[in-house]
Amino acid sequence: MRGDGRSRRILVVPDSVVNPADGRTDHLSAFADEGWGVVALGPPGLVPVARDAWMEAIVDQVVTFIDDGYLVVLAEGDDPESERFSRALREAGRDVSGHIDLPE
Amino acid sequence: MTTICYLAHCLLNANSKVDEGARCSGVWSPVVGMLRERGAVIRQMPCPELAFGGTRRFWAVREQYDTRAFRAHCERLAAPLAAQIRADLEQGDRVVIVGIDGSPTMGVELTASSDDWGGRPDKPLDEDYPVRPGAGLFTEILLVMLAQDAPRIRVVGVGQDLLDYDEAREMAKLREVVADAR
Repeated sequence: MRGDGRSRRILVVPDSVVNPADGRTDHLSAFADEGWGVVALGPPGLVPVARDAWMEAIVDQVVTFIDDGYLVVLAEGDDPESERFSRALREAGRDVSGHIDLPE
Repeated sequence: MTTICYLAHCLLNANSKVDEGARCSGVWSPVVGMLRERGAVIRQMPCPELAFGGTRRFWAVREQYDTRAFRAHCERLAAPLAAQIRADLEQGDRVVIVGIDGSPTMGVELTASSDDWGGRPDKPLDEDYPVRPGAGLFTEILLVMLAQDAPRIRVVGVGQDLLDYDEAREMAKLREVVADAR
């Protein structure tokens, strides 16, 4: 057996966490050190034909984690995708366990 | 020119792995660090197995997933990716797809495959996990969708689902592909 080191803790993060602008805080490395797994929301500027389906796939995955008892927390950015995600998750009848604000 | 790396979901979230398959707690930090050093943009692909089989699924071979319903599921997930990758290429970006060798769905050069084995969980994984050359189901479907654009895309598999997984070897392979794409 290989064993399994999963944390059972997931952070849903805006694209700016995965791809921070130059000079901005590297939250992803900190989250990695703390053992979080990351579900990245879609980047800004997705082609229109991809945008809704991209979000739908993310919501399906997050619902799976929630239903299986994993801790799912939303790291809220000031991007529109975080709000779209929250709305879509509520429409799926689920909610995250908590929120954290991303300091600059 | 920007290099955009589409990563298998589990490279940023090991919680999506099959039961007993996670090699780290969450984010596989070496790949993030390496891509950051090279200025690559990171995008996370969906895990085709996760929302279909759940988090308690056991390991399986490609043939088990190769059903009409699962193919339709993969096509639904791959369509927006293919559209975005085409847009990336049209604006002159370089695209690298990073899959998981040994995975029945995300494999690139090696995929779990057998004509008769059925992913029996009563055997320890390290005793019986048949792997053959070839792509996983989702990778194959995505590349078929990309059709004429596929030759312009670098595709590499990290062997996290192989029994002889060697992190240094896999990182070297990935580093080489990303460097080539620059």
